[in-house]
Amino acid sequence: MTGYKIGEEDSYGIKLSKTLVKVFCVAFFVVLFLCFMVIPCINTIAKVFTADESDPMAVIKFFLAGNMPKYVFNSLKLAVLLTITVNVVGISIVLLTEYFDIKGAKILRLGYMTTLIYSGVALVTGYLFLYDNDGMLTAWLSKLFPGMNKQWFSGFWAVLFTMTFACTSNHALFLRNGIRSIDYNTVEAARNLGARPFKVLFRVVFPTLLPTLFSLTVMTFITGLCAMSAPTLLGYDSINPEIVRLAGSSVADEAFPQARAALLSVILAMFTILLLTVLSSYERKGHYLSVSKTKAKLQKQKITNPVANVLAHIYAYVLFVIYMTPVVMIVLFAFQNYPAIRSKALDLKGWTFINFFGSQDFEYMTNRGKLKLREGAISGLFSNADTVGGIRLSFILSAIAAALACVIVVVVVNYIFKNKGKKRSVALEYCMLLPWLLPTVLICYSYRIFYNSSTWFSIGLGGNTLLNADFNLYYRENVRFLIVMAYTVVKLPFALRMIKAAFYAIDEELEDAARNLGAGPLVTFLRVKLPIVLPSVLAVFALNFNSLFTEYDMSATFHSSYGKSYAMVIQNMCFEEGREGYNVNATGRRCASTVFIMVVSGLILYLVYGVGARDLGDRLALREKRRKRLQKLTGVFRRKAAQAEEEA
Amino acid sequence: MIELRDIYVRFGDFEALHGINVEVKEGEFFTFLGPSGCGKTTTLRTITGFIEPAAGNVFVNGHDITRVPIEKRNIGIVFQSYALFPSMTVYNNIAFGLKIQKLPHKEIDRKVKDIARKVDLSDEQLAKAVSQLSGGQQQRVAIARALVTDPAIICMDEPLSNLDAKLRVQLRNELKAMQKQFGITTIYVTHDQEEALTLSDRIAVFNKGYIEQIGTPNEIYNYSKTEFVCNFIGDINPLSGPLAEKLQLGSDKKHFIRLERLRVNRPDENSQMCLDGVIESVEYYGLYLKYYIDVDGCRLKAVEKNDGISIYEPGQRVKVSMHPRDIMSYPVSQEA
Repeated sequence: MTGYKIGEEDSYGIKLSKTLVKVFCVAFFVVLFLCFMVIPCINTIAKVFTADESDPMAVIKFFLAGNMPKYVFNSLKLAVLLTITVNVVGISIVLLTEYFDIKGAKILRLGYMTTLIYSGVALVTGYLFLYDNDGMLTAWLSKLFPGMNKQWFSGFWAVLFTMTFACTSNHALFLRNGIRSIDYNTVEAARNLGARPFKVLFRVVFPTLLPTLFSLTVMTFITGLCAMSAPTLLGYDSINPEIVRLAGSSVADEAFPQARAALLSVILAMFTILLLTVLSSYERKGHYLSVSKTKAKLQKQKITNPVANVLAHIYAYVLFVIYMTPVVMIVLFAFQNYPAIRSKALDLKGWTFINFFGSQDFEYMTNRGKLKLREGAISGLFSNADTVGGIRLSFILSAIAAALACVIVVVVVNYIFKNKGKKRSVALEYCMLLPWLLPTVLICYSYRIFYNSSTWFSIGLGGNTLLNADFNLYYRENVRFLIVMAYTVVKLPFALRMIKAAFYAIDEELEDAARNLGAGPLVTFLRVKLPIVLPSVLAVFALNFNSLFTEYDMSATFHSSYGKSYAMVIQNMCFEEGREGYNVNATGRRCASTVFIMVVSGLILYLVYGVGARDLGDRLALREKRRKRLQKLTGVFRRKAAQAEEEA
Repeated sequence: MIELRDIYVRFGDFEALHGINVEVKEGEFFTFLGPSGCGKTTTLRTITGFIEPAAGNVFVNGHDITRVPIEKRNIGIVFQSYALFPSMTVYNNIAFGLKIQKLPHKEIDRKVKDIARKVDLSDEQLAKAVSQLSGGQQQRVAIARALVTDPAIICMDEPLSNLDAKLRVQLRNELKAMQKQFGITTIYVTHDQEEALTLSDRIAVFNKGYIEQIGTPNEIYNYSKTEFVCNFIGDINPLSGPLAEKLQLGSDKKHFIRLERLRVNRPDENSQMCLDGVIESVEYYGLYLKYYIDVDGCRLKAVEKNDGISIYEPGQRVKVSMHPRDIMSYPVSQEA
């Protein structure tokens, strides 16, 4: 039996390196917080009051006197109506697939969940493919009604329609989980006490879902308020597109463009802060908690009234058609040749991979009736230099930003857990959550105007400049750095919430056990804690990457020839195809892009929720299963070989 | 072996331990017993080094280890949740401490396999993830991991509390056998009196940051020094009011008697005290019966062996007798 061992003091070198690491970390977080969260935003607010040197209120007066309130009103109108329509459709799809007994619910669920892999700018362009002036449905409708307005799918109602179906992903995830966690015994108890099925739904089921519904409503409202891609592509005057337009405008064209953009983004921030405050105070009130110790699984409710049952089925399948038609059409046309896409008519002999790979020459007739050939004008997604450039840039920037956000948050959360309850850890956590309160466009716009100068940061003392950053970050390739920083900062709150939850799941005794077995803090972190949270960290990385890869709002704000991301390339694909060989096959590439995005998103979701959800036990069991299968297979071959040998 | 001398632990303004003094002998199975929040785990964590005492010292073999870092104390711990690393296989869990010590690969392998054999873990189980093992097997892994580094002492913090009743009894026996096999000094924390009585060589009963009594299971149960210990260990009948008057017990003290010391309709020549009562209700436990007896408006509880013959029905008149030496008396001022 051995005795105790007296500890040794850390050497001077180790102490020094620890101090250096601490100093670096503190400096990094101070720079991150001040330079990429606080100062640019304060600068934006200051812009509102400093645009006119003679009158600090000039911009606000101009704002109120002109047509600017229209943008705020339009955004609010969209947000309010969107909360209604998204809740109606979102609740419907969850009830139809999880609560009521609807035939084919599994297929319906798949259809309703397509928005998980098909969203954002891809979804909007998908809808345009069907509904815009030369869209499939428009062409079909105009044959039926020759006098109809071909531009029917634009403006407010088009945005509302598109966003309604685009924003039900959260309902499909969170409300579904909420309804699945209901204890069926409570439903049975209500029925036993004489309540009719719809009474049970409204008096027993809905009240337990109210907290989730409230959160979803607030998030939908914010989404509506900050909408960017749908209003831009479908033509609706709301706040965000106007900010981007003003940001690209100059004083020569109109009065106070930058200051007005700043004011709009500040208004957006105020609304967001107000809503999130309401949400967090509501969440603090607490939720309905199930007191059941032995929960019964929810069983689907039959709609006993035959008329209601038929109507419910019709409603379910109409929704399914709305969700699925753009997806199916886009997938089909992604594999159709150029003439089929141009005429928006399926050609069963026209299947091709040209929209993805390779190129073809394009022959067209000029106005003078001459045939001309443009070599390689029809090019696939991965053969078109512009598209490949966008994909490559988005891939690199998204990967860097998603990884950076994860690394920052892992370090922060580890620090928070080590200093639980201390003021400095609480302060650090709030700093990391700050971007949650700021609309994305405010952050991006603030970067754009703050760093768009040759001297954006200087500390002077007694007339001498001590520290001076004299390079424009919004100039040429530098903008890519700003994009990465914006992507990272915007994703910090989400990463923090998710990774913090993963750290909460670590049994505190594991750390004690590792220390007891002789492991230092770094070894404990690397070998015990990190492997446990790694699946969650990778999941956050994958989800962040997925959303950033086709991100539109930030890309539009930073749009320049050096920062042309994939989303902007997709947007350009929506422009009308040139008759003389310019932008040829853009629609085909658009369809192929959507398929590509769906494949990437699907793969990421599979990796996160399929492979990533497996623990070591599952992985070992799977490995064992594979080994046995392989053994069985090689056994069969060996037996056959032995048989053949015997026969020979 | 281990000595705690005047240990005080404070969390802010709250004093969790108020001068704890304990001596644990080499090879002893020593249990800290007490209700939740009494300071037993705090004392254990002070020994293991997770808590630094505000005052007092911890000695091991005469050496003061109060300020020695956790990883250098050479104390193995079996945690309440077992704290097995979920991202590692059983083998890697056991080998973790040895790898930290940077032992040669062959020696690690030898030691892991050796300890695994001793705690009855097969090579197949070593290759599994901890989540693939049953509760009992996980406990064995936790013990193996704690023992593999050859610690001088092993501390166990309620290692059976997460298991169901049947498995708890089974593992309790295995634990005791293993402790005897390894002969290692063991400190065991529990709030379960039955566990403490069956496992321990000696027990320290904790209450509100103090130790009420240290003794063998027999001393603790039959010769409880304080009213708290008497109340906490086993079930008791308070003999107060009309009962105390009838039995002519002094009013300057509180008097108690254990259930099994009451004799229902079984007077013998040594039973000098006898009371008339009526059976109020009966609880059937299989091995024994528990009677609730009304004696002059006071309720007494008594247990009798289930012999299948002398079973009394509610309403039946019975005689309840006891021996004066079985009555435990404590000063009135003592807090229960």
